[in-house]
Amino acid sequence: MKEKLTEEEVLHVAKLARIKLSKEEIEKYQIELKELLNDVEKINEVENFDDDILIACWEENTELRKDKPGQMLEPKEVLENAPRHSGNYISVPVVISGGEGA
Amino acid sequence: MKYLNKSIKEINELLKQQRIKPIDLVNEAFENIENNNDLNAYITLNKEEAIKKAKELENQEVDNILFGLPIAIKDNIVTSGLRTTCASHILENFIPIYDAFVIKKIKEKNMIIIGKTNMDEFAMGSSSRTSYFGPPRNPWNKEKISGGSSGGSATTISAGDVLFALGSDTGGSIRQPASYTGIVGMKPTYGRVSRFGLVAFASSLDQIGPMTKKVEDNAILLNAIVGKDEKDLTSARVEEEDFTRLIGKEINGVKIAVPNYFMSDIVNNEIKESIKATIKILEKNGAIVDYIDIKYIENAVTLYQIIAMGEASSNLARYDGIRYGTSEENPKDIEDLYLSTRAKGFGEEVKRRIMVGSYLLSGENAKIYYNKALSIRDDMRKEFKKIFKKYDFIIGPTTTTTAYNLSDPMDDPRKSFMDDVLVIPVNMAGLPGLSMPVGFDSESMPIGMQIIANSFEEAKIYQLASLIEKELKLNLNPNGGEE
Amino acid sequence: MSEYIPTIGVEVHLELKTNTKIFSDSINGYGEMANSLTNVIDLGYPGTLPTLNEEVINLAIRAATVLNCKIRKTMHFDRKNYFYPDIPKNYQITQARTPIGYDGYVEIEVGGEKKKVFIEEMHIEEDTCKSAHRGTKTLLDFNRAGVPLIEIVTKPCMKSGEEAKAYLEKLKEIMYYCDISDCKIEEGSMRADTNVSIRKNESDPFGTKAEIKNIGSISNVGKAIEKEIERQAKLYDNNETFKPQTRRFDDKLQDTVLMRIKETGNDYRYFPEPDIPYVILTDEIIEEARKKIPMLPDERKKIYVEKGVSELNAKKLIQNRSLSDYFNTLLEESINFKIASNMLLGDISAYLNKYEKTISETTLTQERFIELVKSYEDNIITSKNLKDILEIVLESDKSIKEIIKEQGIENISDDKEIRQLIKRIIEENKESVEDYKAGHDRAIKYLMGQVMKETKGKANPRIANEILVSELK
Repeated sequence: MKEKLTEEEVLHVAKLARIKLSKEEIEKYQIELKELLNDVEKINEVENFDDDILIACWEENTELRKDKPGQMLEPKEVLENAPRHSGNYISVPVVISGGEGA
Repeated sequence: MKYLNKSIKEINELLKQQRIKPIDLVNEAFENIENNNDLNAYITLNKEEAIKKAKELENQEVDNILFGLPIAIKDNIVTSGLRTTCASHILENFIPIYDAFVIKKIKEKNMIIIGKTNMDEFAMGSSSRTSYFGPPRNPWNKEKISGGSSGGSATTISAGDVLFALGSDTGGSIRQPASYTGIVGMKPTYGRVSRFGLVAFASSLDQIGPMTKKVEDNAILLNAIVGKDEKDLTSARVEEEDFTRLIGKEINGVKIAVPNYFMSDIVNNEIKESIKATIKILEKNGAIVDYIDIKYIENAVTLYQIIAMGEASSNLARYDGIRYGTSEENPKDIEDLYLSTRAKGFGEEVKRRIMVGSYLLSGENAKIYYNKALSIRDDMRKEFKKIFKKYDFIIGPTTTTTAYNLSDPMDDPRKSFMDDVLVIPVNMAGLPGLSMPVGFDSESMPIGMQIIANSFEEAKIYQLASLIEKELKLNLNPNGGEE
Repeated sequence: MSEYIPTIGVEVHLELKTNTKIFSDSINGYGEMANSLTNVIDLGYPGTLPTLNEEVINLAIRAATVLNCKIRKTMHFDRKNYFYPDIPKNYQITQARTPIGYDGYVEIEVGGEKKKVFIEEMHIEEDTCKSAHRGTKTLLDFNRAGVPLIEIVTKPCMKSGEEAKAYLEKLKEIMYYCDISDCKIEEGSMRADTNVSIRKNESDPFGTKAEIKNIGSISNVGKAIEKEIERQAKLYDNNETFKPQTRRFDDKLQDTVLMRIKETGNDYRYFPEPDIPYVILTDEIIEEARKKIPMLPDERKKIYVEKGVSELNAKKLIQNRSLSDYFNTLLEESINFKIASNMLLGDISAYLNKYEKTISETTLTQERFIELVKSYEDNIITSKNLKDILEIVLESDKSIKEIIKEQGIENISDDKEIRQLIKRIIEENKESVEDYKAGHDRAIKYLMGQVMKETKGKANPRIANEILVSELK
């Protein structure tokens, strides 16, 4: 078993998390994430009682909300905390490629 | 004249008789905080607003036991118009535009918010040393930690600045600092208190709870903050109850389990002795105590690493410098905005946990580890439920050691979780758990005991805790003198 | 170009017709001022939590039912984690593991042949916010953030652009009819993406996939697919390969254009959404939601044709939901449905279009419409009369009988009067009579025209025709 992750593996995770890492941090995570994985491996030795999963400690069915409109914010309230805005819009540096979601 | 060292019933009488006014309590609280400035318990004080509120209350009827009493709020509970930082640079100047459910509840009771307390950044840590604003200090020994993550709330209660504080507990963050600072801290059943307005760390584990010096005060504050919240799908619809109702009732015949793991080599001997002495008192009062094995509790820390870090990595994705919060000044492009904002905005430990969570959810890892963790978590909860068919309580030490030095190294990431090894299982199973002081070690640092009960049985916990409190009669004033 | 077998799958996002958003109670609206339809939940503010809109579940159950899907009774939501400025939380709440509907189909007809398009799954999720690119900035409007969506994913079971087009038309028709979505492609409430690959033989593994995103109209989906098949075939013919990629359809070029090469291993780090632990659909919830499913277009068409409506009219009727609903309320009556459908689709539709009204906004109750149809059937009014009195019919509450009387419409049904007139006209039009006798049918039409002209359209046409024919013998 290799004892550390490759630099690429760490950079992949950092990219997913959108955190810029210094050289030292990359080296640190190469070891740390591997050690952590070794720790976490242990749970595969634990025998399951059954296959049910627990998403939250919650036995009740989700209560659904009635489809009635409530209070909304004024556009100026939306913009108040936003570091960049333009007109009624919140703005960001231009995004070139199209969205990937929805 | 001091009032905040009196019982809340006495204070309430004084207010009713108009011998004191809410402003007297507010002034006293700020004086205390000023005198204890070196404890660094607060991130933001709410002085102007608190005084204004106290004046307003002068013309109002004293309609409940909490009327006019100052309260400190952990800085991850959002307060409209009052800065809420989560002890992070990324929210350093963040002013929320709505109140958390619990804040609304507290305002309904006409309590007065005195300030926002220090904590580990985004509640991630067990010594409050990851705070962007520096750590709070333990009133029992200023060279020691107050624990975390609700370290500031524990500190201000322990020091006697105010009588009430709110904390939050994801993996022991109320109970562990309560234990380190000699106060009472309750993590209620998951779903008992609405999470709406609690800045999420790990959604399936987070719960807000009361922190006080006395057991009864704790129950009274819990009375004030519970209730069904339509805005939180995991807020329980349960019948209203008075959590103080069993206080003072006999415990003859109650069945108590002590997990062998909680009394194993991982726990410091002085703590074990103190717990054993408390068990003797319980037995003297008619409790039946068994030492038992509980399956899966030894895996709780590993489950925590996977589940809490996974949820955290996702919950903290929203801090991107776009809609609110600290943002990179002149980003080259959108990617730079993300990368630099987050690299600079988050502290070391938060980044580490986001990295860990992202890693454990990435690629095949989610299938291999995350699902398995959710499945074992289910088993663990079932195991606890089985035990509560036979026993009324599970008890044991809250922590494996007493508060350690602020100067102890922080570089072992696993240390933080090991501090919380005895408290994490309670969050994993969604149970209520309370920590209360039961003695002191040879360095005069407080020792905490944890009382765990079945879901929604907080009232029973307060019953047991109040008995112990009464029997022990500990002096819990860190500055010595009379209680 | 060699022969290839195309494999096509389609993913459709539909915005649901609800009052409020899926996870918050702010208004689900379109075309309002930027950032005026939001609250702290839609903006992903710290400490906020989702709630779940009941109507979203109802509409999704309805949709799954009409797509012939099985319904998953115990489901949860999942977080799809990725950073993009248009998702406020930088994760999207969706259903990755337990889609509400699965294993369904939609029946289509292409070239006279019926075919089933199989539905892999249908899940519920939230929409993103809208972004607009302006110079060095991208502007964000969060009004759309959190609008409820269903995503319907077919199996890769279609073989041509035409099939995909037929599927989308059918899907749109059903979803619109069930009030699930208003299905406006131009407003983005219906969005179609398609996956296209080709291969030589059925036994070969699937070829490399190209995804074509956000095509602006259903007909362009057909074109885009055909163009894409052509493009891929050319590459393979030249022994070239290509990477999995995302393309878009360019309206001006009428061709697909590369957007980006797919990143390998999109790592969305799905995990169950802990803020919405479990949703259990009881039989009561499902039954209640299904009750609101109206009669579907295919069934309507079948019944209309059985009642004597022409194929064309039946098709036209179902294209207009409100007219079709109106028509459905008449199905138990004994009237001439051919006449009724002609009236609705003819003069009445013209009126409705002119005044931008729906039939329910007029005074034409079922009772009065039946009277109107019968008056026509019994030749009490002519089509010209109908045109003359239509506005009064549709704007007043008077009975048709009263209107006819008031307007002085009394078609001349008196045999004697008409016979005299016809005799005179035959006298005056000898040439035409000759023509008629010589076998020219046109002549009788001319003569009838003269009758109508003389009576200013008041002669009962059936009676006049009978008399004319008998007089000509």
